[in-house]
Amino acid sequence: MAITDPAANKSLGEKLQSVPKPVLYLVLFMLAAIPLFFPVKLPNKPIDASVEMFTNVMALPEGSTVLVESDWTNSTRGESMGEMEALLRILMRKKVKFVVYTIADPQAPQVSRDTIRKIADEEAKAGRYRYKPFEDYLVLGYYPNGEGTASAINNKFVSIVSGKKDWPENSAPRDVSLSPVLKGIKSVADFKYLIVVTASSTTNTVLERITKVPMMFMVTGVMVPETTTYYASGQIKGFCGGVKGVYDLETLMENGLNVEGPNKIVSEKSTEVIPGFPGMQNTGKGMAYYPSLHFALFLLILAVVTGNVGMFLAKRKGA
Amino acid sequence: MELLAQLAPKTFWNAQNGSGELFIKIILGLLVSTGIVVALFKTPNQLRRWVITAVTFFSGLFYVLFWIYPTPINRQPDEAPRNVLEGFSFWLSDAQPVVADLTNIIAAFLIGLGIYSLLRVHLGRIGKQQRDWQFSVVLIAGMVIMVIFGYVDWYMRLDPANAKMAGSGYVGWTFWQFGRDLLFNGLLQNMDAGMFSIVAFYILSAAYRAFRARSVEATILLVTALIVMLSLMGLIEYFWAQGVDGMHLSNNFKLDNVARWLRANVQTPAIRGIDFGVGIGLLSMGVRLWLNLEKTGGSN
Amino acid sequence: MGQNYLDNGWISILITLFMVTVVLFNILRAHGVKDLFIRRIAGLNAIDEAVGRATEMGRPVLMVPGLTDTAVNAKTMQAINIFAHVSRIAARFANPILVCCYNASTFTVAQEIIRDVYQEEGLIDRYDVDSVRFISDRQFAFAAGVAGLILREQAAATFFMGEFYAESLILAETANSVGAIQVASSTELTQTPFFIAACDYVLIGDEFYAASAFLTRQPVLVGSLIGQDWCKLAIAWLIVMGVVSNSIQLKGGSSNKVTQAWKEGKVDQLKKPRPFNMGDTTMSRWLNPDPAKDIKIERPKLSPDEMPPKGSGGDN
Repeated sequence: MAITDPAANKSLGEKLQSVPKPVLYLVLFMLAAIPLFFPVKLPNKPIDASVEMFTNVMALPEGSTVLVESDWTNSTRGESMGEMEALLRILMRKKVKFVVYTIADPQAPQVSRDTIRKIADEEAKAGRYRYKPFEDYLVLGYYPNGEGTASAINNKFVSIVSGKKDWPENSAPRDVSLSPVLKGIKSVADFKYLIVVTASSTTNTVLERITKVPMMFMVTGVMVPETTTYYASGQIKGFCGGVKGVYDLETLMENGLNVEGPNKIVSEKSTEVIPGFPGMQNTGKGMAYYPSLHFALFLLILAVVTGNVGMFLAKRKGA
Repeated sequence: MELLAQLAPKTFWNAQNGSGELFIKIILGLLVSTGIVVALFKTPNQLRRWVITAVTFFSGLFYVLFWIYPTPINRQPDEAPRNVLEGFSFWLSDAQPVVADLTNIIAAFLIGLGIYSLLRVHLGRIGKQQRDWQFSVVLIAGMVIMVIFGYVDWYMRLDPANAKMAGSGYVGWTFWQFGRDLLFNGLLQNMDAGMFSIVAFYILSAAYRAFRARSVEATILLVTALIVMLSLMGLIEYFWAQGVDGMHLSNNFKLDNVARWLRANVQTPAIRGIDFGVGIGLLSMGVRLWLNLEKTGGSN
Repeated sequence: MGQNYLDNGWISILITLFMVTVVLFNILRAHGVKDLFIRRIAGLNAIDEAVGRATEMGRPVLMVPGLTDTAVNAKTMQAINIFAHVSRIAARFANPILVCCYNASTFTVAQEIIRDVYQEEGLIDRYDVDSVRFISDRQFAFAAGVAGLILREQAAATFFMGEFYAESLILAETANSVGAIQVASSTELTQTPFFIAACDYVLIGDEFYAASAFLTRQPVLVGSLIGQDWCKLAIAWLIVMGVVSNSIQLKGGSSNKVTQAWKEGKVDQLKKPRPFNMGDTTMSRWLNPDPAKDIKIERPKLSPDEMPPKGSGGDN
């Protein structure tokens, strides 16, 4: 008796519904990888939340201090590293000092140090001021008990820096209270903003416990819906979400806001003109990964449509 | 009331850092806590439940009071409380960082418990040469090697003579620094990133399998998902806007406007509603645990 | 002293205390009442079916109580309570179980509870000490470990309940690839869509917290669930009140009208009560108290020898 191949008896609809997973994965790999070798600038309209975040950070006066909670590691470097780099570029060019701490992961302080050093070197290579550890920024390190630390930050900020040490450039570790970055900082309210760069639920921890300083979030794409609820209610003053959010910031840094020109970006909330940083290195991971995001989403849509077409064809055949 | 307020002036509960008095107090503390543990072991079963209830209640009571009790407004470091009520709020504020530190210390000890579990399972597997015992060798070896390189590198960096190691350019790096860099940046970080990138492939296969218009609700879900995905693509948004630009009513159907409407009027209220329910559930669960009303074990 | 309440947001504390009172009242009330109604939750009805299927296939049941960096919290306890019920059924069917823990404290608690379950059923000889394991406290190392376990052990039923993050889809798809029946619930709303796409049954939102009441019908839990429903009604009323109050206060008013009146020199209009901005409304001021920065409280000063010394901490 001849053995019939079950695949040969499948109708077109059934075949469309059962594309093998390895084929899908291979196509995705190729579509996501090829744009990395051929970077291209795509048009982009930043969302309101990114525009507001950009406006607020650009309005920081020189010499002010910002608290940054860096709760990401290299697993989310596609999004979080791009966000951190965009933020650091703006802070360094505006000569705003910052203090970095972590409540999510012991790897995070080292990852944030490496990113800060990379951007500082990039700025120095472009002939601008080179940010120095301990003089211009501090990395306080990892605090295991996130809820307790957040409460302590709101309640008594000096308690969490007490006794902490950081490394000045080419020097032994020194007590952070001796750093010029913390000059004049007695409580968390003395910081202009708390900016949380995270890929986990530390946003909830911070929102619940820290009330004395305005906040902004930089989150992964998956966290955008839940972060939108807090932005819509005014609990945060802006946020940047995922690769799209990174590209929004990079676009704003490149083209400015309400600046006349071929790539004018208009804000519906404000008519204030913010020039951006024309002529400087503004693009990074946002521009590098945005085309890959396009192709990946395109493939996702194609796969969903293919599956549904297959389902309808199979239903019609069966009917 | 200086209990837990270790930053207060010298009291019975604290001692100078590095002094002999501190070591004596630590040893006394260890002896007392060992005695308490032994006493707990010998406690009759009926009494143990009350001990657990009391410890849970008073531990939780601190944070409940910390949240409910009014915090001192605009308190300066050199100010004393005006009365007993304000003094209690001062004490709560001062004690909170210390309680947070206590929790950190307990969490650190729990890591040791986790390591014990790992070692017991995997050493047992190696000893009995059970199925896949070779992977257990890799796990234990990886754990030990990471610990050794991590500690040696950290210890070397404490030396002021090695201060340049922290800068860029591998200045002064030895075998231990390169080894740690290979293990941490080269292996661990990249494996983490690799695992996270698997999610992209799984999203594709899950969406291909699950997003089918089998019912009215599924169709609505499918259409809104397509709109939101298209709105994330700047190229599509740009060409779509070209098509509808300049016409008044049609401006409402620009992709970013539609996506924004969906986010603001459908997604956000739904998430808020679910968040309220989850928050109340969490509050209720927390109250039951704090007051020991919860009978764990799932018995009928 | 009363001014201190300004800094705390007294109304949010009042609302919380009200909700706690309602929950406790209903817990007391439920003791005297039998057969209180809880609607059907599909995922929980499927537990028996899932464990039975695993027994028929001779493959284990795998449970993951979520990933939490803190010590055991309410979400993890709830997950372990549900798994205790699952383990009870598995123990009766002599089906092997695997509980994969992310946190050492979760592992300790889970081990105790699962062992107690077997003991209560009189089946302590069926309890395998290694069935409850600590895998890793690194997110993707944990995901890799559990995915590997699912593939090697060919789990027939998987239960993912608690806090999940990016690894949720990795675990769900891996279980799907071995044909396991899956029941999942994530307290993180961002992961619920992934579970819905990949799993057979999903508990959304506070169905997770209702699960223990649904499964055990203990009066405390059922009463608490009813109390939670009353609280949701109260919040709904608060939202309606807020909408009505804001609509009345913001009616016909905006800062644009004030600016316009000023520009046109209509001084009479400016003397009228100033139209509200959103932040000026009663509900906004009640729920978003602005801590008073410029209130000066006269307090006695500490003497120099009473001043607290600087604390000492470790290196980072």
